Amino acid sequence: MLAAFKRLGLPLSLGVAIGLLYGWVIQPAEYVDVSPIILRADYRADYVLMIAEAHTAELDPELAAQRLAVLGPEPPSTIVLSAIDQARKQAYSTEEMDLLQRLLADMQLFQLDEQ
Amino acid sequence: MNSNVRRGRRRTFFGVDLLLAVLGGIALGLAYAWVISPVEYVDADPSMLRPEFKDQFRAAIAASYAATGDLDRALARLGLLGDPDAAGALAAQAQQMLAAGADFSKIQQIAQLGADLQARPPVRPVVLPSATPSSAPLPTSTASVGMLTGTVTGTPVPAQTPTPRPSFTPTLTPGAGFVLVAQESLCESADAEPLLTVIVLDASGRQVPGAELIVTWDGGEDHFFTGLKPELGDGVADFEMAGDVNYAVRVGAGGAPVANVSAPPCAGTGGDSFAGDLVLTFRQP
Repeated sequence: MLAAFKRLGLPLSLGVAIGLLYGWVIQPAEYVDVSPIILRADYRADYVLMIAEAHTAELDPELAAQRLAVLGPEPPSTIVLSAIDQARKQAYSTEEMDLLQRLLADMQLFQLDEQ
Repeated sequence: MNSNVRRGRRRTFFGVDLLLAVLGGIALGLAYAWVISPVEYVDADPSMLRPEFKDQFRAAIAASYAATGDLDRALARLGLLGDPDAAGALAAQAQQMLAAGADFSKIQQIAQLGADLQARPPVRPVVLPSATPSSAPLPTSTASVGMLTGTVTGTPVPAQTPTPRPSFTPTLTPGAGFVLVAQESLCESADAEPLLTVIVLDASGRQVPGAELIVTWDGGEDHFFTGLKPELGDGVADFEMAGDVNYAVRVGAGGAPVANVSAPPCAGTGGDSFAGDLVLTFRQP
């Protein structure tokens, strides 16, 4: 039994270790078709800023909410709130913060209307 | 003698056994690492998005650009998507949206951004970040994309100073209607469907990208935009006509409609007639 383990178990374990090293570190699975839900926080914040910029001209809360829905199933105001937190960390300009705040207010109103 | 042969066979068998066990282990390890429990990405960058999400990202960039007019920022944001030809990707998306019957104002935003990128003179890239080798793909980003931060490595390239430039991109002036200034019939191919090509020029004779063209006919209407096929020209659009239909064509909602537009009759080499192509040139007075 021990001999069989030595004969097969050790090389098998060695192979598994090599496979894991290759598959996790050297050549990990490539993600090419991901959803925006896993976008990095600063990219998410910039996407929300784009929506906020467009919203100032379009003034269409439903459209803004649809665009925000790309970022996940949370309510639009929650998504904007997270973006504002991130924007604070990244020291967005006052003008940009105002745009985000305005979008937040409109999304909160929009959600109330929807309810 | 016999025992030597047996020992030799056992050694060979052991060698094959060992190799198979290692290979089997590698296969198991890879299956676990790639399929059962692959590396989880939590900080993806926009270039990794699925194509339909990239479309939504582009639409958001175009909508933001329509509101702010900040082409440098739009360009930097488009750069995050990793499209080799950002203007081409925008034109293709506008065409797809047009075919899908999407909202014209949204199509126009995308077409306008694509056309403005086309019209932009080539400049050095703002930042040429080099990839940061890492098991998780971290974005190597750019200071010009809003407030995005990222790991920028390598030799810094002097960023282009975003100095205000005089606007060289012809844009539509609200209220100024376009009028037909030239019409040309072409009898080139009897095999192809007759094509209506529309060229839209501004008052100074430059082609106008993103101009909406409205074609109506008995029982139908179609809208399309100049500049969606950059290879034809920024201010050019085309429309496939039916041989026996009269159309009315106008540029934008305020343009003067040109009625009775139809494929010109052409004589073929064998004496047969066929419907030719038509080129209409509109210009802002």
